Amino acid sequence: MNGSNGDYGDDQSFADVVNTLSGGPWRTRRRKRNSQWQPPPPVSPEPETPASVHDEQPAEPEEWSEPSSGPSVARPYTWTQGRTAPIIDLGVETLVSTSEHGHDMAVLTCAEHRAVAELCGDPRSVAEVAALLSLPLGVARVVLADMAAIGLIVVHRNTYSSADTPDMALMERVLSGLRRL
Amino acid sequence: MDFVDSDRAEGRWLSHGGASAAAVRPDPVRSAPPMARAVGTVPSAISAKIVVGGGFGVGKTTFVGSVSEIAPLTTEAVLTDASTSVDDLAATPDKSTTTVAMDFGRLSLDSELILYLFGTPGQHRFWFMWDDLVRGAIGAVVLVDTRRLADCFAAVDFFEDRGLPYIVGVNCFDGVLSHSLDDVREALAIDSAVPVITCDARERESTKKTLIALVEHAMRRSAAARA
Repeated sequence: MNGSNGDYGDDQSFADVVNTLSGGPWRTRRRKRNSQWQPPPPVSPEPETPASVHDEQPAEPEEWSEPSSGPSVARPYTWTQGRTAPIIDLGVETLVSTSEHGHDMAVLTCAEHRAVAELCGDPRSVAEVAALLSLPLGVARVVLADMAAIGLIVVHRNTYSSADTPDMALMERVLSGLRRL
Repeated sequence: MDFVDSDRAEGRWLSHGGASAAAVRPDPVRSAPPMARAVGTVPSAISAKIVVGGGFGVGKTTFVGSVSEIAPLTTEAVLTDASTSVDDLAATPDKSTTTVAMDFGRLSLDSELILYLFGTPGQHRFWFMWDDLVRGAIGAVVLVDTRRLADCFAAVDFFEDRGLPYIVGVNCFDGVLSHSLDDVREALAIDSAVPVITCDARERESTKKTLIALVEHAMRRSAAARA
């Protein structure tokens, strides 16, 4: 997977394969027969064999990368003392804001907590904190969960009607908000 | 290149398989230490989330950026097989790793409500990230380029499997719709209740309409489920 054409050769040949196999320029999405369908397991990055080419999606190497050097990855985890799991569950969109306690610089003994406290004067999502502090999402989650545990930040919990589905009142607010834009 | 199994991935605590994982996840409110809730005046800020899926290059980030009040941000998750212990990380900085990037935008809908739009990571080996994204989402917009229709199959399959309300937005590049919406619906084999609409990911008004169509669809589904 070292280039956009790595798996399939040029676009024309891929299109030829699809057309030959499906009898047309489009192949119709197969209906799932099995309700227990699970996402496929991680696939190896090696090019697929020609026989299975038509069942695979085109490679998208632009959307991920592999850092060549380790330290850039290892360093963020020193923020978490090496831990990878947060002590409370935080969604990517969960809002956090600095608490009154967290505004007290005297209690912010470590640099990462100060950085978060300065950033979150207004509510920000977990994903924003991660992006703005250039931290991997998992690291931000661990740090934020720690800070919530000692009262430095407030976690704004969303209400879900059931099974992680937003409730109707929230959807109505979003709808009217979008219409006002 | 090692790709980690799900148990050793960074997102170990994330949902791997829907209901069963959700069942064992501790209730976040109850498991939060009391201090976290008791300190300070708690503003009633609330967030909502919409997922934007589709193949690579179909315009997900453009779509997000057309309405976002900030330039779309990118957050990364790092998958590493060294994430089990700090000693491993410190001692073996060259462990193979993979980063997964997600673009997202932000939209303040009122003084206390922020809507986030998250683009799905393109690589299909990162399904666990998609699970994290769809949890608690209002729904999803699947962007489609009719020249590369098959690119969106994975997203449609995933959202159907997870029961997430979604609509299909056929992104009209240069304002040209090269296939009828009925043809797209047929080729995608989607239910007649799922809206299929045209959009131009570059246009704020178009994106706004698409998002409104999604929320309306999600509310219809939610109301029907309760009836």
